[in-house]
Amino acid sequence: MNWNWFYRMGSPKWFYYTTSRWLPWLGVMTLCLLVTGLVWGLAFAPEDAKQGNSFRIIYLHVPASLLALAGYFLMAAAGAIGLIWRMKLSFMVMKCAAPLGAVLTFLALFTGAIWGKPTWGSYWVWDARVTSMLILLFLYLGVLALQYAFQSQEVGNKASAILALIGTVNIPIIYKSVDWWFTLHQPSTIKFTEAPSMHPDMFQPLLVMILGFYCFYALALFMSVRVEILHRERKTAWVRDLVSQVAEERVGVNS
Amino acid sequence: MIFQFESLNQFVTMDGHGIYVWTAVIVSVLFLAVLVINPLLRQKDVKVEIAKDQLREKQRQVSNREKT
Repeated sequence: MNWNWFYRMGSPKWFYYTTSRWLPWLGVMTLCLLVTGLVWGLAFAPEDAKQGNSFRIIYLHVPASLLALAGYFLMAAAGAIGLIWRMKLSFMVMKCAAPLGAVLTFLALFTGAIWGKPTWGSYWVWDARVTSMLILLFLYLGVLALQYAFQSQEVGNKASAILALIGTVNIPIIYKSVDWWFTLHQPSTIKFTEAPSMHPDMFQPLLVMILGFYCFYALALFMSVRVEILHRERKTAWVRDLVSQVAEERVGVNS
Repeated sequence: MIFQFESLNQFVTMDGHGIYVWTAVIVSVLFLAVLVINPLLRQKDVKVEIAKDQLREKQRQVSNREKT
């Protein structure tokens, strides 16, 4: 089997130039999906029979939670690839996925708390799902903190990757928490094995929002990995060429 | 597909749930925007920093040549 593509993917330069071409498309797609999904969900989806209009928070809560979980898998996988194949790029991906995931987890908890007030009568409940999501937030913050806890970048990378890998235990627990324990949190709207427990009129905008959040995740991750690449590869010839090209263009425009 | 509310006013208040729904929307949009704007700003900073380094290096080379 030809493994060239795998090694090429690990090249920061290749990643930088390829994503340059993708970013504009990804940006437009993200914006279109999120705006469509949000307007559709907030204004055109039918009201929930039991929860009234407060259910519309689902259009932010579910995509944010889903990406918080998927993002954790991505971060842990990037850490594992970094540990096994010593790829520089995959450690950069891991580092950039941590703050991104932390923000998404925070949003999931925040929108959940706001949704909890009119639905459960309380902003915060020590329920299995909510508590395991809080642990996910701490895991993300832990991975991020370990990056800066060591003098050497290499040691920090390894420590972060190991914590990320250990933390993956939490992901199936979060996913299954609503089935394993008696909780206040409603069962999953979307399951891998069954049809969604939602009317199509409500489900379609949710699907658009989930797609939008996936695109957004890719966009935000690519953008911050690119900054990380420039920063870590600043001494290499290609970054120096790139920056001096940009500088010359600026000077040319100004004069 | 029909607009679910009778008036724009009702769309904002959402029968008492407006405050919850709109807070969730505004906070989410703000945080998502920060996640995209922050790397854009840092990208610019890093490029400027690298360009400054290169300029400094060039000046050092020129002054070294003048000395010899």
